[in-house]
Amino acid sequence: MHFDWTEEDRAYRARVRDFLHRELPPDWPEIARHGPGSRAQTDFSLEFCPKLAEAGLLVPHWPEDWGGADRPTWEHFILGEEMWAAGEPRGAQYMNVNWIGPTLMRFGTEEQKRRYIPPMAAGRAIWCQGFSEPNAGSDLAALRTRAVRDGDDYVIDGTKIWTSYAGMAETCFLLARTGGPESGKAGIAIFLVPMDTPGIEVRAIPSLIGHGDIHEVFFTGMRVPATARLGEEGEAWSIIRFALANERVGIPRYELSARVLEQMVEDLRQQGRFDDPVIQSRAGAAAADCEAARMLTYRVVDGKARGAAPGAEASVARVAVVAAENAVMDFGLDFLPEAFSGGARPAYLSHHERAIVTGIAAGAAEIQLNLIAHRFLDLPKVAS
Amino acid sequence: MRFEPNEDQATFLSVLDQMAEDAGAAWEVPADWSRFQWAAGLDRTLEENGFFDCAAEESLGPVAAAAMVHRLARLPVTLEVAASALLRPFLPKGLPRPVAVIDDSPAAPIRFLPVAASVLSLSGDAVRVAVLAEGDVRPVDSLFAYPMGVFARTIGDWQRLDADPNAVREAWRVALAAELGGTLRGGQDAVLAHVRERRQFGQPLGSFQGVQHRLAGAGTKIEAAYWMTLRAAQGVDPADSAVALGYVQNAATAAVYDLHQFMGAMGLTLEHPLHRWTYRARLLKSALGGPSGNFGLVARRKWRAA
Ligand SMILES: Cc1cc2nc3c(=O)[nH]c(=O)nc-3n(C[C@H](O)[C@H](O)[C@H](O)COP(=O)(O)OP(=O)(O)OC[C@H]3O[C@@H](n4cnc5c(N)ncnc54)[C@H](O)[C@@H]3O)c2cc1C
Repeated sequence: MHFDWTEEDRAYRARVRDFLHRELPPDWPEIARHGPGSRAQTDFSLEFCPKLAEAGLLVPHWPEDWGGADRPTWEHFILGEEMWAAGEPRGAQYMNVNWIGPTLMRFGTEEQKRRYIPPMAAGRAIWCQGFSEPNAGSDLAALRTRAVRDGDDYVIDGTKIWTSYAGMAETCFLLARTGGPESGKAGIAIFLVPMDTPGIEVRAIPSLIGHGDIHEVFFTGMRVPATARLGEEGEAWSIIRFALANERVGIPRYELSARVLEQMVEDLRQQGRFDDPVIQSRAGAAAADCEAARMLTYRVVDGKARGAAPGAEASVARVAVVAAENAVMDFGLDFLPEAFSGGARPAYLSHHERAIVTGIAAGAAEIQLNLIAHRFLDLPKVAS
Repeated sequence: MRFEPNEDQATFLSVLDQMAEDAGAAWEVPADWSRFQWAAGLDRTLEENGFFDCAAEESLGPVAAAAMVHRLARLPVTLEVAASALLRPFLPKGLPRPVAVIDDSPAAPIRFLPVAASVLSLSGDAVRVAVLAEGDVRPVDSLFAYPMGVFARTIGDWQRLDADPNAVREAWRVALAAELGGTLRGGQDAVLAHVRERRQFGQPLGSFQGVQHRLAGAGTKIEAAYWMTLRAAQGVDPADSAVALGYVQNAATAAVYDLHQFMGAMGLTLEHPLHRWTYRARLLKSALGGPSGNFGLVARRKWRAA
């Protein structure tokens, strides 16, 4: 057991920081103010990601055949921490790098791989993920969007909701039902759908959480060729499991929280208020929550790096990440409320908008607690 | 970053596991309804087999020592492990154990004093030890599930140690975090076993979501505390020890409440061992400043505040 970075890890982190330092413009905080889905940040990512690719920092963990360098899991993870903490200059493209690319490599046809992977590796592809529906959120297997086979095509009808980046994306990783209404998990297929296909309508949903983050997407008589299907009919659930296992820990949110906490402490110090023992104690508690999330997340990454099968530890880490985000968010609201009006601290507002999402997006905290109870604590399934 | 034990650590911890699962460490309903059961046999075996020397051994180190404290604190029986395992590198060779530690007022009741062979004082700006003699100590009744005692007379023979008091205090902070973390884990394991078996309304208690979510929330914190404590044992960052102790102490209050809730009336008896864990946790959660003291220390160490 050893809980420190190696010299190589440190050097790698320094290299990533150095790159960010050079490439992020002075007005980056304004560009990043409205989140990875905003127009400004998406446009920025389309210049930034090609530079990352050039420097070998976009997909280093991918196989060489697809533009990567087969670099270790930990390097990819360090890269993710630094990017998220910097405000995610990769915009929506972090999804390609983390799971869409690897999933296509594993399950895509040659044609699909050749069409979609090179633009991702070059840093020029924006995707969205069409999973959730108005009546299928936590219970994703209840989704109703229908894909009906018609000769060499499928005709797709239905509605997706909460779809991040849909307004900017060129391609959607879409789940639709090919089986009957009661077919559950076994009746779903994945489609790779160009967003300019006739029959798609996107409506942005005004929200508390940054621009371009959530949308409704309507599919009306949309026709796609059968070659747009990823994997077989009914195979979606196992492919999604693979994708999630590959992603495992999701976004390293505690890293940004820990850095925002540093800024909050600095503000309080400037105001001469950091000698207050109540404030010190709350700051220490928030820092401890960030460290708890960090250690539990690192444990999952360590398992992945050793090739261990994914377990419920990822849910354990997710719950701690939610606590960390909230601890820092509430520390700011309790002791620096003035910083949330008047625009003096855009970083706090951006952090706030990310933090309120953490317990809901990508599987609610309560779903994680269910999984922990069942798979980590070996408790019986919930009583109906 | 490596969360797996090395070969020596793995062997060490698996032998320890076997010993911990042995008879002598298991719960027995005490004939005298005592609040704790001093595990003299297991204590002797650990001592005779050199377990308390692990912190100083290069391939094991303080990380393995902290894991050992955590593992043994999960038992329903009481042992003095925390000081002996993590502080031994600072102590004079051959200092007899068990060791009681004074980290607060020397006049207050002290944990392990009635069973201790020596005492270590961390109060003041020097570290001192004394070997205890017959009649030095008087046991006192206590709410807590530890042998507690006070000094019956003034100890004359204190030996001042040539050790950095801060380093000793740091190791002690880690030791307490490990002990409290293991204690909560032991209580939680007992309650998990209970809620898997006990049925009400035709189903196991553990299938109710109101029960599951609270146990899962506490389980997350207990798990986090374990890894934070091991990292603190390695001494990666100066704030780590206070992070680990403050975090686990902060988690203890709600966790202990929940453990008793889910055990129902059975958990309020001396026939069930739950109190053996919860009444250790209820003492340890205030050690070295408790959550607010430790979190304050985190802030001062991280941000060098006054
Ligand atoms: C910022 C953001 C971005 C998103 N991006 C995408 C995206 O790009 N693509 C996409 O497909 N989806 C996306 N989502 C949707 C996300 O996956 C869902 O919000 C999430 O799965 C929860 O579904 P829901 O919002 O419908 O909540 P519901 O399922 O209605 O649940 C509401 C609450 O009920 C509780 N709950 C639900 N089920 C249980 C249970 N079994 N046990 C206990 N409690 C329960 C939980 O507290 C939960 O938060 C995004 C969401 C957000 C907030």
